[in-house]
Amino acid sequence: MFIDIACLQRKKYNQNAFGDFFLSRRFPNMNRLVAVLSDGLGSGIKANILACMTSTMLLKFMENNFDIEKSSEIIMNSLPVCKVRGISYSTFSAIDCYENGRAKIVEEGNPDFIWIRKNEVLKPDFQTINSKVFQNRKMKVYNINLEKEDRIIFCSDGATQVATGEKEYPLGLERDGLAKIILDKIKWEPQISSNDLSSYLIKRIEEIAPRRQLKDDTSVVCIYARAPRESLIFTGPPYDCKQDSYYAKYFIEFEGKKAIAGGTTANIISRELSIPAKADLSTSSKILPCISKMEGVDLVTEGILTLTKTLEYLEEGAAEENAAKLLMDFFISSDVINFLVGAQMNVVHYDPSLPVEIEIRKNIIKKLQKVLEEKYLKKVNVQFV
Amino acid sequence: MKKISVKLCVGTTCFVMGGGGLLELEEIILEKYGDRVSFVGQSCLDLCSKSAEYAKAPFVKVDDEIIAEATIEKVLETIDNKLGVK
Repeated sequence: MFIDIACLQRKKYNQNAFGDFFLSRRFPNMNRLVAVLSDGLGSGIKANILACMTSTMLLKFMENNFDIEKSSEIIMNSLPVCKVRGISYSTFSAIDCYENGRAKIVEEGNPDFIWIRKNEVLKPDFQTINSKVFQNRKMKVYNINLEKEDRIIFCSDGATQVATGEKEYPLGLERDGLAKIILDKIKWEPQISSNDLSSYLIKRIEEIAPRRQLKDDTSVVCIYARAPRESLIFTGPPYDCKQDSYYAKYFIEFEGKKAIAGGTTANIISRELSIPAKADLSTSSKILPCISKMEGVDLVTEGILTLTKTLEYLEEGAAEENAAKLLMDFFISSDVINFLVGAQMNVVHYDPSLPVEIEIRKNIIKKLQKVLEEKYLKKVNVQFV
Repeated sequence: MKKISVKLCVGTTCFVMGGGGLLELEEIILEKYGDRVSFVGQSCLDLCSKSAEYAKAPFVKVDDEIIAEATIEKVLETIDNKLGVK
């Protein structure tokens, strides 16, 4: 099983800083994922700092293998209380889960999470732990077992309280209203990714908000326990050309989506497996060469220029329409990304008289691995050949 | 008469050295020569790394003839020569 997680956030309409803070970390060696969503009191910079501190501290505890329950208790007992409103300076939800389905969830002040299995909202048991320091402050602890196709949705109260006081939603959208939107969406698209589901939910929440103005910071975190979407990208000719045939076969027999980044690499596959490659000149742009079409391969792009641009787009989270966006989409729609990287270099790329500086493939791949793992929470394997 | 094949390299070195400017050839060739000449892009013509002589991208291949530092004019001239057109 793979734990597919994504978070999308919106600021309160008149603020420059997010008052909610989301952090997540995957531990591939342990098949473990931890995530924290914190909602700072009020909005703007002050809320951002409070939420950031809460999420960061809690994640650090969990990263260092402190039990999520103990870590949450420490945070709960140390979070200050607003003297005026008498409530926590920040609320939080945290999850510590493994790919075998075992998960622990702790909530303090955030709306209860929504757990969906086979189109029903489950009502799990929980344990209540009262704060030893603050009266009326308590946290809920859940020990659950996720099964394949289960979904979990966390949100801040910006989502559940949207449109409060409006005729259609006198008490706001509420948890039930949000659950209904999720269930309706999943019925139509049962395998929608966490990324797409969180985008959809935020869009719906914005549509419900009066004048589309969110009166509070709003965050939605979606988790989906799924069979991993595996992909393989082959870039660069193998160092030893005698291995071309072996790796071409390895590539085409891979079960999952396949991409090639590199003209020489595409030529090798084409030659070894007798699959013609046809360039689609209509996909050329000012900054990048076009893609090609090959039967049995989902995407064929040019190599190093496209990879460099894709890295930039991944880091910024935004892209223009070109080959690099297609490659970015290829990565984002995968859960496990395997890089097969040929170590042979084309020395002409390093001719000082070339008008642009071309990065070294190995360096770009390492940077891609880092951003895909840390920002997009993908599992990445790299093999140099 | 056998169709003349024109192949434009759309690989890294050729693109960096101005290959993008040769994309217009597709329309020009169709207009000028109709179905006497075919035009395709190829992800790599395997020329730039071969030797110093070939390190002059962008490359276009007209049948078996390699045009280094290709321009639209050079390509059209080569096609005209092959067709025996003055």
